[in-house]
Amino acid sequence: MKVDIISEWTGEIGEVTIGATKKEGGSRCAAIVIGGGSGFPFLGGSAPGRKPLIAFEFCDDPKLWSPIVTEFEGDVVNDAGAWAARAEERHRPDLLRFYLTSTRRRGFQEFSQVGRSVEEVLERSTLPLIVEGSIDPAIDSETFLRCGEAGEGERLLLGTAEEGRYRSVAAAAMAYGHSVIAQSPIDVNLAKQLNILLRETGVPHDRIVIDPYTGALGYGFEYSYSAMERIRYAALKGDEDLAMPMVSSAIDSLNIKEVREADPGQRGEMAVKWELYTAVSSAIAGASVVCVRHPDTIVPLRSAIDSLWGKTGGGD
Amino acid sequence: MALKALDIYKLLPKKNCKECGEPTCLTFAMKLAAGKADIEKCPYLDEEASRILGASTKPPIQRVKIGVGERSFAVGDEFVQFRHEKTFNHQPGILVAVSDLWPDDRIQDVVREVRDGVLVRIGTDLRLDGIAIRCESGSAEEFSRAVAAVEAKADLPEVLMAADPEVMEAGLSVCGAFRPLIYAATDENYQGMCALAGKFGCPLTIRAESLESLAKLSALAAKEGAPALLIDPSATTLSDYIKKATAIRQNAVSKTVPDLGYPIFFDTTVTGMQDAALALGVDKYASVLVCDRLSIPSRNALLTLRQNIYTDPQKPIQMNPGIYRVGEPVRDSPVFLSVNFSLTYFTLQGYLEASGVPCYMLVVDTEGYSVLTAVAGGKLNETLVAESIKKTGLESEVDHRTLIIPGYAAPLSGKIEDESGWKVLVGPRDAAGVAEFLEKEWKK
Amino acid sequence: MQDVEKSSFSGKAELLKMLDGIEGEFSYEGTAYHLPVTYAITGRAIHTGDEARSAYKDTGGNPLVAAECITSFEQAMHGKEEDPYTGFIVDSVLRKLGYSLVDGSILGLALLAGTPPRPDTAAAICRELQEKYILTFLAGDVISSLVESGVKVGAEYRLVPLGKQPLMGIHFIDIIARVAMMFGGVAPGDTDRLLRYAQERARAFVIVFSGLDEPEIAVYDAFGLLGIPILSVDGYEGKEWVQVEAGDAVGKGLDLKGIRVTVTAIPIPMACSPAFEGKSIRKEEMFVEFGGGRSPAFELLRSRPAEEVTDGKVTVIGPEIEDIREGSAVPLAIIVDVYGKTMKKDYEPVLERRIHNFVNYGEGTWHVAQRDMVWVRISKEAVAHGVRIEHLGELIAAKFRIDFPDLLDAVQVTLITDEKKVLEAKEEAGLIYEERDERIRGMKDTDVDTFYSCTLCQTFAPNHVCIITPERPALCGAITWLDGKIAYEISPSGANQPVLKGDMIDEVRGEFEGVNRFVKKASHGEVDRCSLYSILEYPMTCCGCFECIAVMVPEVNGFLIVNREYTGETPSGMTFSTLAGTIGGGAQTPGFAGISKGYILSDRFLQAEGGIERLVWIPSLLKEELHDRLVQKLKERGIESLFDKIADEEKAVALEDLIEYLARVNHPALEMPPLI
Repeated sequence: MKVDIISEWTGEIGEVTIGATKKEGGSRCAAIVIGGGSGFPFLGGSAPGRKPLIAFEFCDDPKLWSPIVTEFEGDVVNDAGAWAARAEERHRPDLLRFYLTSTRRRGFQEFSQVGRSVEEVLERSTLPLIVEGSIDPAIDSETFLRCGEAGEGERLLLGTAEEGRYRSVAAAAMAYGHSVIAQSPIDVNLAKQLNILLRETGVPHDRIVIDPYTGALGYGFEYSYSAMERIRYAALKGDEDLAMPMVSSAIDSLNIKEVREADPGQRGEMAVKWELYTAVSSAIAGASVVCVRHPDTIVPLRSAIDSLWGKTGGGD
Repeated sequence: MALKALDIYKLLPKKNCKECGEPTCLTFAMKLAAGKADIEKCPYLDEEASRILGASTKPPIQRVKIGVGERSFAVGDEFVQFRHEKTFNHQPGILVAVSDLWPDDRIQDVVREVRDGVLVRIGTDLRLDGIAIRCESGSAEEFSRAVAAVEAKADLPEVLMAADPEVMEAGLSVCGAFRPLIYAATDENYQGMCALAGKFGCPLTIRAESLESLAKLSALAAKEGAPALLIDPSATTLSDYIKKATAIRQNAVSKTVPDLGYPIFFDTTVTGMQDAALALGVDKYASVLVCDRLSIPSRNALLTLRQNIYTDPQKPIQMNPGIYRVGEPVRDSPVFLSVNFSLTYFTLQGYLEASGVPCYMLVVDTEGYSVLTAVAGGKLNETLVAESIKKTGLESEVDHRTLIIPGYAAPLSGKIEDESGWKVLVGPRDAAGVAEFLEKEWKK
Repeated sequence: MQDVEKSSFSGKAELLKMLDGIEGEFSYEGTAYHLPVTYAITGRAIHTGDEARSAYKDTGGNPLVAAECITSFEQAMHGKEEDPYTGFIVDSVLRKLGYSLVDGSILGLALLAGTPPRPDTAAAICRELQEKYILTFLAGDVISSLVESGVKVGAEYRLVPLGKQPLMGIHFIDIIARVAMMFGGVAPGDTDRLLRYAQERARAFVIVFSGLDEPEIAVYDAFGLLGIPILSVDGYEGKEWVQVEAGDAVGKGLDLKGIRVTVTAIPIPMACSPAFEGKSIRKEEMFVEFGGGRSPAFELLRSRPAEEVTDGKVTVIGPEIEDIREGSAVPLAIIVDVYGKTMKKDYEPVLERRIHNFVNYGEGTWHVAQRDMVWVRISKEAVAHGVRIEHLGELIAAKFRIDFPDLLDAVQVTLITDEKKVLEAKEEAGLIYEERDERIRGMKDTDVDTFYSCTLCQTFAPNHVCIITPERPALCGAITWLDGKIAYEISPSGANQPVLKGDMIDEVRGEFEGVNRFVKKASHGEVDRCSLYSILEYPMTCCGCFECIAVMVPEVNGFLIVNREYTGETPSGMTFSTLAGTIGGGAQTPGFAGISKGYILSDRFLQAEGGIERLVWIPSLLKEELHDRLVQKLKERGIESLFDKIADEEKAVALEDLIEYLARVNHPALEMPPLI
């Protein structure tokens, strides 16, 4: 009697391509595909999907970023293009995620700078790129137009669409050939609804990445963890409106008390461990892209993912 | 397949004799269906019913207690594959390994750390659980010395790790009365190990390479009289562990392979990537985790992850109601009303801290419900708020009488004013808006 | 007046002649879509005269194809026109325009063509189009006319000057075709999808003055092939061209394409926000109050035909604020008349309930209750700031339009403060309330073939789904079949979805094929059968928010009910809390069911088990609460005496006591067949 994992999945996770090579009209080193798979990571059946990829997050206004990271990285944080180049070369993530934190400043209006910043990052790095635009509906239209335009041909992943604030991101994705991150507040039904709204606006299924919102460890992480498992589960049971790859980023991790108030000597390690335990768990829950901010998280995270999925990452 | 309450009831004697401790057979049947009762308690069960019910009403994963006293812990008693299906019941015990090749003081440094180390989160003390003593010397004498060194410093649950039953016995002679976990019985030595487990009344871990041999071995061990079992699928890589652990959990809860219905043991030190292995173990079904000494950051992240994953999804973690300070508030600092759902509290607190304005948080007891739920369900109401103001002595902390309430509690604003006599300002619906709110509304 | 039909006919002949004159190769620059209109319609890339003529023939002489080939040829031969005329707009610029269309900064597209009768006519139309967030293209003399009268044209002003001739209006079509292919996923050659996109998404209309030659008339008439309406201001009659006055042109265009500008501001001298919802206005603070027992008052929302509703109109019949003495109680009727293409009579009560919220959003207004029990106040402070009774109407009208932009096309409010008129209207309103109650009261499950699901509680119970029928409300007690239906119609992607009954499997137990299929999917395969009227066999699953639990008591062949508010012991040996813990979470537990209070009164309750005669025990307070309606129900069934035979905690708590009591009163359940 062989003991085996029982799996009765009928659905499959969709695939999304991020990045375009020179041949395809872009300038990225690779066009990576995320998602796919017809099983839970390791719940057997056929291929569990590709191994999760690691995205390194950085920004254009370091004043609105964790001091732990800005201290660690040094002056390079003041030049987004240079930071992108350094991150690619030194930290070696699979993707870069560029936050336009400048747009969060009160009364922000420098939209031409938005376009230029995205262009600079694209020029100075070759990794597939995720671009996070504004979070204020009042400037969404202009911001996402510039982001979309600047990245035309590069198959960016644009963030972030939410219920009530998704049209500009969707428009930029459709006009300039990018994909969209669809975020919901840790609620499976709302995630599904947003995907339906995006589809009705014209964004096809293979250009949507679900972000169920990841609370920091100790600050709601378990809700996110279960939301990810439930989304994956529903997708595998045949729910097409949830069958998209997921992205997980516990952006509050470096701001929480346990990390902020750790002894200065331990603070860096605290940040890394906090991110590591969170990202490993998210990967197991089904996230296709896990994001980190502290550079030192990447090496141990990659070892863990490689060990779980195998280095070449097709699973079984 | 798990039987439903009604099906179980049909097999019971239906005398309502109450001898099982339940008022009616139906109640007993419901508890059996939930795995929360022991079928043995019914004295009037016929043989057929006993056979059918015996198998199907046992909890899918045996409950095993390790250690004695304050720091002892129980594992097992799990029913689901995913925590969102209901909840995980017993968090894994984390035991730090020491070797019998080490001198006493090195061993005792580790013991002290585990004994005293604590992370306080949401009013709970989070600690590591015990010590794993590894026999690397091969000597019964060294092994018992090491065990004694541990015993001398703390009353912590232990795992005794030795392949030779004689060495194991030596260790047990030191601490056997304190229900340590014996590691491990294999095809080669299980008779000896089971005898020890029976003799000392200790839980026993069995280890095998494949799941099939684990199942066989557990059946044998149970027959040999081992009172409680854990199983170690001998994973040396993360990938190996997760596949085996998932198969075990799935086959156990579906009762497809009842011989795998035991808690899982995972020695993370063999993987070479301890943090990831520990995270994996916590997320996926480990009941006992053995690791090497942890740095404070690793320990804190691990304990927090464990607390999170093992929180019952249907029972939100609650804060103690009362007055909480953000920064150093003074007598004219703003007062924010909030509920005692920990997530709400922490979210609001985070944004208040980020705003840079010192203030008070008046946290009221809504039994852990969030603002929206508490308002809809009537748990957050004017009486509660007025009473809380009185009980906490808020009026002696601040000179003003203005309360800022969450945006979603707006429908209560008038009633709160009437009941408490305080003025109410309605704040933003989203906590992220508090900084702007304070800027615009409070300053004027 | 020029006849479109005749001119079209001659025009087509001329187009063919012009087409014949094309030779050599030509194309547009800056586009990946060749000749976009032709490419979209035929799927073919046209670059030579022969190809052009062939395409024209194959499309049955489509004037759009002809116009495009001709224009493209001209532009390739003679180059583009001088500034400010844009001619063909390249893809990269078009992307930006398309972006605005998708992200909502532009609500629609318009083409203004020909020679306006007077310069200010065109200027006025353009101004209106700009105000309504329409992207306007211009072709013909209208451009020079505007420029001469000082109107600024250009993409940044959303007035795009295509070319000197109305024929350049063909670029309007190639823009729509490209937007359809770029954003709408329309494949070249897929004319069905192209048409659908043009009709539903592109929201385009054309306003034509005079000055079109016959080929141009033929071309513009062909715009109709894409569902684009032509509004003629000055002289073209026939076919589907709509005659309008210049001043009505834009309004008509918006109306035809269903373009609505969202109202965001409420033009009253009072702040308005959900933050004021809970603020009450005390007696000392009020300037005037209506209803609340002090004076007659009611509110009513009615769905009316389009002609009867003028959007935004507010009328006060009777005394206004200046005629009212401070501190007095005055009669009030709030009558909200709405029109919407998809509005239904069924939605009236759902929308009517919002009046309460809307009035409370006002900083100085307060509202309690509903229908003819309302109580409304306006504060002294509000009146001091200039708030009058009409502003109450404006508030209500604006909020309805803001909150229901797709459902309501027009909202009109009439406020009556004249006592005699209020009383008259109140009587009529009373009849309408009665009629509404009758409608849901009388509904039977057999009257409909669609039930509605609710998955609102799946956050807490991932595999649970409620099936709501006319005779069985949701177990939380909050949602009826009608609520579910309306919720679905208003938000088709929400938590309430239609459930087709399908074939009946068992009439008594209430098992239906369609329901089973739905439940299997919604519970992720966990539950594959559901009997709507049975508790013993395949009962519905529960989440955790049920109002009551029905529990079998096999010893007496009956069922007891315990509600959430009752915390004591029950004859089953389990409290509500204990029971809730075991049956909740999405489980299907035969013998137990989480239900709403209302369901107890339904004919379907316990139907499979033999009916209400099985009910043996219910907490006294719940029994009180249901008394009148339950007695009525039992009377109708000829078993009024049953009410007193049903035990409560005052008669028996322990099972043995219950058995004894039921025997003493001769409860019918004892004689009924055993439950198992």
